[in-house]
Amino acid sequence: MSGELLFWLNLLVTVGIYTLLAVSLNLINGHAGMFHLGHHGFWALGAYAATWLTLNAASLPGPLLYVLSLLLAMAVAAIGGLTIGIPCLRLRGDYLAIATLGFGEIVRIAVQNSPHDFLGGSLGTKVPRVLMEVTRTTQVPFRFLTLAIVAVACAAAILVFRNFLRSLPGRRLLAVAQDETAAGLLGIDPTRSKVLAFVMGSAVAGLAGGLYAHYMGGINPLNFNFMEMVKMFLVIVLGGMGSLSGCVIGAFLVVATEQLLNRAPEAIASWWQVLFPLILALMIVFRPQGIFGRKEITDMIRAWRRSPA
Amino acid sequence: MLDYLLNGLALGAIFAFIALGYTMVYGIIKLINFAHGEFFMFGAFLGFFVLRDLGVERLPLPQPLPILLSYVAALTAASLGAGALAVVTERIAYRPVRRAGRIAALITAVCVSLILQNLAIKAWGAKPQAYPQPREWIDTDDLAGAAPANLYAVKRVETTGGEVVENEVRVVEAGAALDDATRARLRAEGHERVYRQVPLDRGWTRGFVLLALLLWAPVLWFLVKRTRMGKAMRAVSEDSDAARLMGIDINRVIAWTFFLGAFVAGVGGVAYCVSYGKVEPLTGFLPGMKAFIAAVIGGIGSIPGAILGGLVLGTAESLIPYALREGLGWEAAFAWKDAIAFALLILILVFRPTGILGRAVREKV
Repeated sequence: MSGELLFWLNLLVTVGIYTLLAVSLNLINGHAGMFHLGHHGFWALGAYAATWLTLNAASLPGPLLYVLSLLLAMAVAAIGGLTIGIPCLRLRGDYLAIATLGFGEIVRIAVQNSPHDFLGGSLGTKVPRVLMEVTRTTQVPFRFLTLAIVAVACAAAILVFRNFLRSLPGRRLLAVAQDETAAGLLGIDPTRSKVLAFVMGSAVAGLAGGLYAHYMGGINPLNFNFMEMVKMFLVIVLGGMGSLSGCVIGAFLVVATEQLLNRAPEAIASWWQVLFPLILALMIVFRPQGIFGRKEITDMIRAWRRSPA
Repeated sequence: MLDYLLNGLALGAIFAFIALGYTMVYGIIKLINFAHGEFFMFGAFLGFFVLRDLGVERLPLPQPLPILLSYVAALTAASLGAGALAVVTERIAYRPVRRAGRIAALITAVCVSLILQNLAIKAWGAKPQAYPQPREWIDTDDLAGAAPANLYAVKRVETTGGEVVENEVRVVEAGAALDDATRARLRAEGHERVYRQVPLDRGWTRGFVLLALLLWAPVLWFLVKRTRMGKAMRAVSEDSDAARLMGIDINRVIAWTFFLGAFVAGVGGVAYCVSYGKVEPLTGFLPGMKAFIAAVIGGIGSIPGAILGGLVLGTAESLIPYALREGLGWEAAFAWKDAIAFALLILILVFRPTGILGRAVREKV
């Protein structure tokens, strides 16, 4: 019974982390219309920053350290987003995709080659537990606690992004995404709008990285590979580029499929690696707008209420 | 220093071989064919099977001709196989999205790349396998005269399933000596044969890739500039709708471009795996990315640019870490060579997105 509970808790926490990754990627790729393929790099930056602080400030009280490490994760990822964003965001389309992919790979190579006593290098490192003691018997409360934190983080991120998109800078961003030249002619600075979105997105990816590191209790450079990037992409394509609630549904579909398949015999489970790129390709060809398109779940409920039964 | 330069050039020539396919495909349909690295990997695997089944490891070393012929066979199989895979992939995956926009096409290409990688893992296993190399066989009785380096002993063993497999053990590490006790033990354990791994001389492999590039570059140039198909390719690249109106069969031209690009990548695949001594399903990923960088450095869409870009990237990847290590005393510099390549890509994209030989295209608003 406890095993079953642990499985579903783990699934939900993972869904939450992927939701954070997806909404942030969605802000950049969906709403801002940039083609960014290096999100796994920001995720890794966040995870490593949080790990670094946790390892080096062990004297602080646990919950404070937890919060501080998450803030540092967001800050480091945001600075990474700024550094890579300012030069790269002048590029468009597939060139931007390749440049950001290059950045993601640089991050992976950098952590893989870090000295073993610094961040564990290619072997990765353990992250000390700061919230509570995690043993076999306390797994369930630990996962419940993490789930609550991740759920709050997701809700906060979605709320912030929703309000941002309704604010003046957000509207500017949407204008730039629709037609950069026209927006520029209206007096909007496209690069500034795009860098803003990029930095916000990378900060949230960093937050996801910090939460992930604390939840897993250890990180490894191999966790942050290009495959994960494609998986995030599948989440936003399934949910619908430009829909925040789509991200949640997409994340649930992808993570649940993966983890349920993982319980199947190895011969079936290993097909997941073939299956998910295939689903992504088919979605791109047959329903590029995803399940939700640009709509939000709240829009649909409203429309459904208005229509006479 | 010279050694590093030559290594860099040889590696660069391999990048150039792969970059050619990227650049040709990009030139014609503006698609970054992410799966190109997997065509390369497929070619390398086919070459692996040919070399293994022709038993290049068993061929007597003193006669070079059979060995040379098996390598030619491997290269042919690799090129044709990679070309065929490219044509099939284009037909199944790329043609349906050709009109769907460049981003959709790029995502499809990323997916195709992952699918091919994972199918290869399913078919051939994820573990790296040693690429067959010529070996020097030594009679067990002659062991006294055997030079003491890199000796392996082979024994036939019957597995529990009744299968007879050849078990290989390393007897003597490079540089150590083969003493009487070991010799006696080998015989007692029933090892039938002993061979010495003869690493292909680096000078040879380097010479081979550079020579192959010298040979292939004019051929490609001729195909693209002097044949009817080449003319059609250039026409489609310039304006595919107008080319269609002129009666050019676009699908055939694109298929042919894919074939040609992957054909050349197959040569690169075998050359790469021969120089690195192993092959695995992920073989294509990093060289593929590097070759793409090379194509961008040279100016994507340009064939001389791909060759130049490949050579520049290979040299930079070898000489920059060398300079960092010798000049700054940074021992780990070579572990960072991939990061250097990606940094080079970002710099080029930011400061000169058209590459060294590319033409600037003005965007109409």
